[in-house]
Amino acid sequence: MTPTAGLGFKPVHYEQALACPAAGLWFEIHAENYMVDGGPRLAMLEALRASFPLSVHGVGLSLAGTARPDGEHLSKLKRLVDRFQPFLLSEHLAWSRHEEVSFPDLLPFPRTNEALETIGRNIDITQSALGRQILIENPSLYMQLEGHEWPESLFLAELVRRTGCGLLIDVNNVFVSANNLGFNPVSYLDALPRAEISEIHLAGHSEDPLLGGSLLIDSHDTPVSAEVWKLYDWLLAHRGTDRPPTLIERDDNIPEFDTLLIERDKAAAMMAGQREVANA
Amino acid sequence: MPDLADFQANFARAILDDDSFDRLSGQKAFAVYRNTCARGAVEALRAAYPTVDMLVGEEMFTQVALDYRREHPPRGPVLSEYGGEFATFLARQSWTGELPYLADVARLDRLWLESFLASEPAGIERSYSRGSRVALHPATRFAWLAMPAMSIWQAHRNPHGLVELDPVWADEWALFTRPGLSVRAELIDAPYYRLLLACVAPAPVAEVVSAVAAEFPRADVSELLHRAVASGAIIIQ
Repeated sequence: MTPTAGLGFKPVHYEQALACPAAGLWFEIHAENYMVDGGPRLAMLEALRASFPLSVHGVGLSLAGTARPDGEHLSKLKRLVDRFQPFLLSEHLAWSRHEEVSFPDLLPFPRTNEALETIGRNIDITQSALGRQILIENPSLYMQLEGHEWPESLFLAELVRRTGCGLLIDVNNVFVSANNLGFNPVSYLDALPRAEISEIHLAGHSEDPLLGGSLLIDSHDTPVSAEVWKLYDWLLAHRGTDRPPTLIERDDNIPEFDTLLIERDKAAAMMAGQREVANA
Repeated sequence: MPDLADFQANFARAILDDDSFDRLSGQKAFAVYRNTCARGAVEALRAAYPTVDMLVGEEMFTQVALDYRREHPPRGPVLSEYGGEFATFLARQSWTGELPYLADVARLDRLWLESFLASEPAGIERSYSRGSRVALHPATRFAWLAMPAMSIWQAHRNPHGLVELDPVWADEWALFTRPGLSVRAELIDAPYYRLLLACVAPAPVAEVVSAVAAEFPRADVSELLHRAVASGAIIIQ
């Protein structure tokens, strides 16, 4: 069955996930959580993989770092990918390592020609080591940086052109960044090479406790907002008939499995062409 | 045009130094990155040391975890590997004098996690003779504690709630095994501990038996050996 809309896999939902009959359902995991030698975590993933398509989403390669991707990390990723054969494999347009220190975050950088060269090289290294295409996700941005030479949409398009990578577009990240930095999210989506989008993420955000709505945080702790559903609807309408697999991400304040499944079913219905549900 | 390496060096420094304030880190939104990085490390440590968290309380744990991060920031993106020095760090803190068992409880949390994440053994034989060699299961972890830290640890990790605790202030020996898909924690005695120690490097059964018998002449070593094999703590090669 073709994967349609999926859910970020939460071990607390293991039993319901495994028993869920929804057509086209798939699951995504964070690669780093499964970079372990053995034990129950991998056994659980093995059982999940036997019943569902799986997507592996990495957060630790630091592709926008000046250093080459860490060889040890890359081989752990390769071991995971070889074992579980995910239908999608993605990473971020961000950096998270500097010298010996790792930052558990996705950090921003000025989109210069130099950055383009560096990231292009790092994607090449990654794709060669893994022997397959990876998708690159647009980040959530919080502050203005000086020195950008490329708008993000065109930067991503250029990376696709140079490396043959695909795109994972997180519509919530587009919304959050557009709000925080003051650009038009539809113009952003319009400038993307939409045929290269192989996966879409949808998630919830929240307001910064001190600064309120002027600073939105990509918190993944609330349902997908009405504005993000609308942007998703726009993206689907401007993509053509092959709709990219879409994921509902939730990492904090995790509700019941069935509550997440309702959001997932809404995305699946929209993918199937029921545009009116965007306003439901 | 900012150089990527300079930009990242400056950004990284500003994340780790709460007092830095320049054109970049002076922006209000910079706090989002600072907080996310700090919270990521603190919560990874809390997830790895749940019993320490229960003993000191959420607020105190956060403070201690931030102090720990100043000395030991994460070195890699796999956060289950973070915090390996935490027990040693706790032992060095002057305030833990009031909780002398805390560093040992942290050690036990770590051993539980190591057991949980360890690999599967290559192959397990079911029977053994005096000529067989025995080795530790990859998920076996054990410790000798100069305090009743294991009783304290077990009382807090009891899935049925905190059991009444009246520990005897004497040495304890702890064993973690992973017979199926969950980790089993048990208090063991000194001869059993000695037997496990004898299996750290794979050894013939006869050698293990005589090492334990030499030190504990009154111990029923063959009964111990059966127990160790039955619990999955040691495997026959």
